[in-house]
Amino acid sequence: MEEFDTDILILGAGGAGLFAALHALQADPDLDVTVAVKGLLGKCGCTRMVQGGYNVALDPRDSLERHFMDTIVGGKWLPRQDLAWRLIEGAVERVRELENELGCFFDRNPDGSLHQKAFAGQSFDRTVHKGDLTGIEIINRLMEQVWARGIRKLEEHRAVALIPAADGSGLAGALLIDMRTGGYRMVRAKATLLATGGGPTMYLYHTPSGDKSCDGMAMAMRLGLPVRDMEMVQFHPTGLLAGLDTRMTGTVLEEGLRGAGGYLLNGDGRRFMADYDRAGERATRDVVSRSIYAEMRAGRTTPMGGAWIEMKHLGPESVAKRFPGMVKRCADCGFDLAGGRVEVVPTAHYMMGGVEFEIDTTTAIPGLFAAGEDCGGVHGANRLGGNGVANSTVFGGIAGDSMARFVARNAPLRDPDRAAIDAAVARAETPFALAQGDLGDLRDRLWHLMWDEVGILRTADGLKRGLAGLADLRAELHRTGLADGDRAFNLTWHDWLNLESQITVSEVIATAALAREDSRGAHFREDFPETGDLDTTAFTRITLDATERPQLSMVPVDFTIVKPGESLIDDEAGAPPASAAG
Amino acid sequence: MTTATDSEGGTLAVEIWRGKDAGQFETYTVPQRANQTVLDVVTWIQRHAEPALAYRFACRVGVCGSCAMTVNGKPRWTCRTHVSKVAGEGALRIEPLRNLPRLKDLAVDMTPFFEKWQRAQGRFTPTRTRNDPLTTVSPQSAGRKAADAGIECINCAVCYSACDVVGWDDGYLGPAALNRAWTLVNDERDGDRAGVLKAASSGGGCHSCHTHGSCVEHCPVGINPTAGIAGLKRWSIVELLGGKLP
Repeated sequence: MEEFDTDILILGAGGAGLFAALHALQADPDLDVTVAVKGLLGKCGCTRMVQGGYNVALDPRDSLERHFMDTIVGGKWLPRQDLAWRLIEGAVERVRELENELGCFFDRNPDGSLHQKAFAGQSFDRTVHKGDLTGIEIINRLMEQVWARGIRKLEEHRAVALIPAADGSGLAGALLIDMRTGGYRMVRAKATLLATGGGPTMYLYHTPSGDKSCDGMAMAMRLGLPVRDMEMVQFHPTGLLAGLDTRMTGTVLEEGLRGAGGYLLNGDGRRFMADYDRAGERATRDVVSRSIYAEMRAGRTTPMGGAWIEMKHLGPESVAKRFPGMVKRCADCGFDLAGGRVEVVPTAHYMMGGVEFEIDTTTAIPGLFAAGEDCGGVHGANRLGGNGVANSTVFGGIAGDSMARFVARNAPLRDPDRAAIDAAVARAETPFALAQGDLGDLRDRLWHLMWDEVGILRTADGLKRGLAGLADLRAELHRTGLADGDRAFNLTWHDWLNLESQITVSEVIATAALAREDSRGAHFREDFPETGDLDTTAFTRITLDATERPQLSMVPVDFTIVKPGESLIDDEAGAPPASAAG
Repeated sequence: MTTATDSEGGTLAVEIWRGKDAGQFETYTVPQRANQTVLDVVTWIQRHAEPALAYRFACRVGVCGSCAMTVNGKPRWTCRTHVSKVAGEGALRIEPLRNLPRLKDLAVDMTPFFEKWQRAQGRFTPTRTRNDPLTTVSPQSAGRKAADAGIECINCAVCYSACDVVGWDDGYLGPAALNRAWTLVNDERDGDRAGVLKAASSGGGCHSCHTHGSCVEHCPVGINPTAGIAGLKRWSIVELLGGKLP
């Protein structure tokens, strides 16, 4: 097995990973920084896919307090408040850094000042954007800067395990698979950053990039780290529905279509949103997702099992002009968004939960840092649109600063626990020793199980069926193998490894969802539809035991900055332009 | 609650390049679907016929620029290319992108593409810091409009693969890198526009372009690199004659 040493190992190359690399080198240009990423540098990951924009309190009429209150109210009082505050404060610096130092150019007003648009759940128009493709601008500019520096790039390298030190003193590094050769590579590092992103790809319909499979959370939990808020999975209401045989299905049709006055119709061709919410199609993401799902469950579906979105009453030419990207995307897929109807379905979008981490991105294990969607606590029960890219870039940069400081304090290269490396290799080798089976069918059943039982509307009975089904799927995966042979760029091997991470994290989601006997934000229990008393709000914390079974506790939220019933602003947080988090 | 779109009953005859530089086409029979992209065809083959088939994709929606391949002779983003658009006689021939080193099957090494992006000084040089306010820039200024026209490049390398000059001159920076340089020389905030112009007009730069326009024809997001390269040529000559950049 190849082994090498580096000062800082960064797992992931989205907004968090790239910012961490840049900041670490700004702190100390002599650092040896290695970025390992499952796809190509800057080309996989979800920051790049950001459409809407970046929330930041830059306008003198806006304030940090206002952005903070919108975030806390949107998160249904579940966020860890010091993390949320750091996010909001950090966003100001990070947006200036993106523009002034990296060269991003965000949309301007006619007078040349920065344009900030309205986004659901926020009491001020604060979302900075580049058209409706903000993520491309951010990541392209970041990747140019990273390419320009002497950073070791391990592209198409998948992390399979975080390896502890033999003496138990902290983290030694990570075991990777070089996907291009199929060989293993152990990288020792003084500091390692977990920035692989989340991505609820275990649901039938999902939005994230295809490389996402919750590997980071699974690796962290296997190392013993706690995760929080894992029941909080955000669904976007309008994913494209084009059948189960196309990767197009589940990808997002943007929120602005509803905001502009688009109609949602059920299979009978009738507008239904007014039956569920006064705001109709303009209700928040969680409400619209639940409403579409309820129509689907009642059988009032389109031919492929979803709802229609219709824009033509706004004038096909006008729609094509206002939403060129969406209209062209649909046209490429064979659908007429401007003048016809397109089938849509709610689609799993973002995980608010994740690894517990501190403001400086440290974790409970010395030498291991974490940032971005791998982490929990920033968003609570619901993430505001525009706070996701802020999260990855703000905490990614902080991680770079922190790791550089950590290394400067003579952090050691630790001897890896050889038994842990052997165990991780054995785990990754598992499928080659098993009889060949149908992984595609297994994945389909995981997708349906999570969608039906652990999805948008939940009950205790359904969640218990979900947990039982997941246990069966896990056992089945460990009986299902693939032919050994050419391991170079063998995507089916990685499909197997993806499924193992996805099933592990699915069990944690279901466990947390069963424990939370209330409804708030993204989590809706039909058997407990009320939010209940905010003052006694608690979050779910889960660790895995030695047999990888989730162990749960409920931990009271410490309202360190503001308590339910209090506010830092005079008027109502989260409204207008909409009444709740989106 | 969910039903798959069923096939229209037809099948596609799909030839796929297997191997690296040495290799051969293998033929697969793939069920045709109403909603089916070229990436879906490749995925079907990996899932049902050839588990070790190598290909690359990420975002599925034309944002990441990871999945470009040569389809029936032309470079395309496969995630946004509907089969009905390219499979005239129900046949597809899928190969890796031209002009880049092959890794395996349909995957290429994009390193030279990004190295040339850097050689063209395709990166911003700051004059302000995170402690400063943002620059006021009129969106209607000529420079900003020129930059905006080229800025939404997804670095998929389709233009690089389509370009004949890249094919015969390994030193040519190619359309995407020069397009990025053009956006920078038009960005009034950049602190080294003269340096970018120099990098983009030196050996292997804009003057190597033969204006065939293959890049314009194939760019999936509608950018016109040829126009930007023509602009770089013009400006580099103006500067050579002692003129100043606008």
